[in-house]
Amino acid sequence: MKSRHARIYPRLAVFICGFAVLFFVAAASAGQVAEDPLERQTLDIAKDLRCAVCQNQPVSESNSDLARDMRAIIREQLQAGKTREEIIAYFVARYGDFVLLKPPYQDAGAMLWIAPLALLVVAGASAFVFLRRRLRAALPEPPGLAREDAERVRRAREEDDA
Amino acid sequence: MTEFSLHFIELGHFAATLAFAVTALQALAPLAARLVGDDRLPALSFRAAVAVFLLTSIGAAALIHAFVGGNFSVLYVAQNSNLSLPLFYKIAALWGGHEGSLYLWVWILTLYTLVVAWHGRKRYQEHLPLILAVQGWLMLGFFGLILFLSNPFERLFPMPPDGRDLNPLLQDPGMVFHPPLLYLGYVGFSVPFAFAMTALLTRWESELWIGLVRRWALIAWGFLTAGIMVGGWWAYYELGWGGYWGWDPVENASFMPWLLGTALIHSITVQDRRRMLHDWNIFLVISTFALSLLGTFLVRSGVLSSVHAFAVDPGRGAYILGFMGVVLVASFGVFMALGRYQRAQEAVTSLLSREALFVWNNVAFTLAGACVLLGTLYPLALEALSGAKITVGAPYFNTVMVPIFLAVILLMGVAPLVPWRKANTERLKRRLLPPAVLGLAAAGLMLLVFGWRHWTGPVAVGLAVFTLTALLTDYARAVGLRRTQHREALGRSLLKTVAGNRRHYGGMVVHLGIVVITLGIVGSGLFRAEMSVSMAPGDVLEIAGERLRFEGVAERRGPNYAAVQGRFTLLNGGVTVTPERRLYARQDMPMTESGIHSTPLRDVYVVLVEAADAERWAVHAYVNPLVQFIWAGGAIILLGLLLTLSQRRPRVRAGTAEERNLTSP
Repeated sequence: MKSRHARIYPRLAVFICGFAVLFFVAAASAGQVAEDPLERQTLDIAKDLRCAVCQNQPVSESNSDLARDMRAIIREQLQAGKTREEIIAYFVARYGDFVLLKPPYQDAGAMLWIAPLALLVVAGASAFVFLRRRLRAALPEPPGLAREDAERVRRAREEDDA
Repeated sequence: MTEFSLHFIELGHFAATLAFAVTALQALAPLAARLVGDDRLPALSFRAAVAVFLLTSIGAAALIHAFVGGNFSVLYVAQNSNLSLPLFYKIAALWGGHEGSLYLWVWILTLYTLVVAWHGRKRYQEHLPLILAVQGWLMLGFFGLILFLSNPFERLFPMPPDGRDLNPLLQDPGMVFHPPLLYLGYVGFSVPFAFAMTALLTRWESELWIGLVRRWALIAWGFLTAGIMVGGWWAYYELGWGGYWGWDPVENASFMPWLLGTALIHSITVQDRRRMLHDWNIFLVISTFALSLLGTFLVRSGVLSSVHAFAVDPGRGAYILGFMGVVLVASFGVFMALGRYQRAQEAVTSLLSREALFVWNNVAFTLAGACVLLGTLYPLALEALSGAKITVGAPYFNTVMVPIFLAVILLMGVAPLVPWRKANTERLKRRLLPPAVLGLAAAGLMLLVFGWRHWTGPVAVGLAVFTLTALLTDYARAVGLRRTQHREALGRSLLKTVAGNRRHYGGMVVHLGIVVITLGIVGSGLFRAEMSVSMAPGDVLEIAGERLRFEGVAERRGPNYAAVQGRFTLLNGGVTVTPERRLYARQDMPMTESGIHSTPLRDVYVVLVEAADAERWAVHAYVNPLVQFIWAGGAIILLGLLLTLSQRRPRVRAGTAEERNLTSP
């Protein structure tokens, strides 16, 4: 039953996908340029801080005056040799946890980190239990079928599966 | 502004009030029929639905007329329009504020109700009155809010000579399409909701309505997807921060129903094919609609402080909270009491079967929805309860959601290769091998070329390539098989394979769109280059291989704003981009218009931030790789959806012919 076509086309598809990957890597790697490391470091820190006067925007992306000042402060402190943690602690001391876009792992933020894991466990476990139960479930006979018809249906389904 | 306009707005107000009254009739008809025992009452619902739509449309027409004619004796018009506002935006200003967007919501609801009434007048005649009644109750809730607390028809005396103008942020083509599409999505889920409530109350056999609900859910999902995509696109070129999605609470508000809606359209398929998950589907229908309502209210009650928080009014909070509470308690209450009226009729044959994988899909999407809900509401709840303020921003959502999505992409590659009931393990392994090898190779190549930027990069690209290959090889296998059997030309086989099972391949095209979007997100999320510099005319900025020359600025006048337009030449291609800094006179509000040059592989995105001194300008420039993939992926998703919807009825399969017979009344 398997023929030339049935074998060749899937392989062709694999080749096409492979070429697509190569093409993209080649195209994307063409334009790499060195960036100012300090600018990248500044933005990396600014990305995780909330611009306190903006509506839910990170300091790295806001064009407001405060965000600009905050970026300048980060840059100055980086130049003064402070670490990322020290700089973030500086802003938390001034504005509170509110300034952190990523909520802290303790205190009021703890719930936010525990809950997704707990939900994952609960949802995963209930799905598993559901599937296991249905695996052994006794089924009602399909209504209105004679025994031999039901048998035929069952066989047809099995062929379907094969 | 004519005298006619003064009368017309009152007529509109009257029509809306009348619509409220007729809605009550529509909501109460089946109940009254039962109490009085009069069989003619339910037939009223149909006519009521038509009348409510017409009356609500008259109200909307009156409002639009007031906007276009500049009738500033209407408070809402005076607040959201202006004589110099272009016509385009005068019409869109209808949904530019709180009152008008609620009116748009209810208007769309009456439209859906009309379509359901027309669609069901023969197909599900006996259930129609109750379906319309459920929608009637929803309309009643909204009309109550609109007419008594948020009335867009409210008059203003003395009448001001000119209006305050529409928020400049909203004066954009995105404003014309984004809210209506989003609302068509939100409100669209009210139809499955009405079906589910009717089914629960009448013990309507699930197999008879789930197919209908599937189509309605797909339509709503399509509109919601389109609305979210247009919203992202709008944010991208309008907000000037080079991004399209910021996990803002308002974005989350539209994303939650999308996630649950996605779970729903998958699990409906399981019930359709394998007759299980009946109660779970009803639960999902109710939850999806509840989240649509929540989304509307989060945005429109002003409870959030976010980039989208226009038109806020906490004074209506109590009503909205009460309405939400009633809908939630009533719908989940009915579900808890009657939800198990129909149980699964088939068993799971194997844990490695498509239905089992669909269950895991539902776990992933429900979990994703729950996490977004948690992250969005938790800061609000915390502040309300303890006064402590925390922020849950993009880094949190990325940390939590990205792994879930990666799991979803993996499922998306595996599940279509796994048949219903039971997979042949050997064959499955054989078929998964090439995609897995290619996926791993792509991930390795990614590491080699770009280094270790973030673990999500290689993993996401590897999974995307894996899924893409799996999808295409599966399709190629079907085409090959068809050619063997039919001996026809390749092109014909390619088309006929899809045409023969549009429902399935439509879904696969949607998955393809998701893969394309994934690549776009990886590219623009992990490989964005950004620079913030001060430039004088003639200066050249080099960013990620692109060279940008600043040519200078020029003044420009728009219809209702004054602009400074900068000119930048992209030296690599000679193209010019013109970012603007606009000042909208009436609201004294500065706005940035970014200058964007797009090619399929990257966008150059320039923002004119402000004048640094007499001739230097602060300039923000980004190079965003693969952003275009995101919009292209969105278009592919919608095409796939249309393909799926073009197949009206699922094919009757051999084994279930007898069961299908039961479904014809």
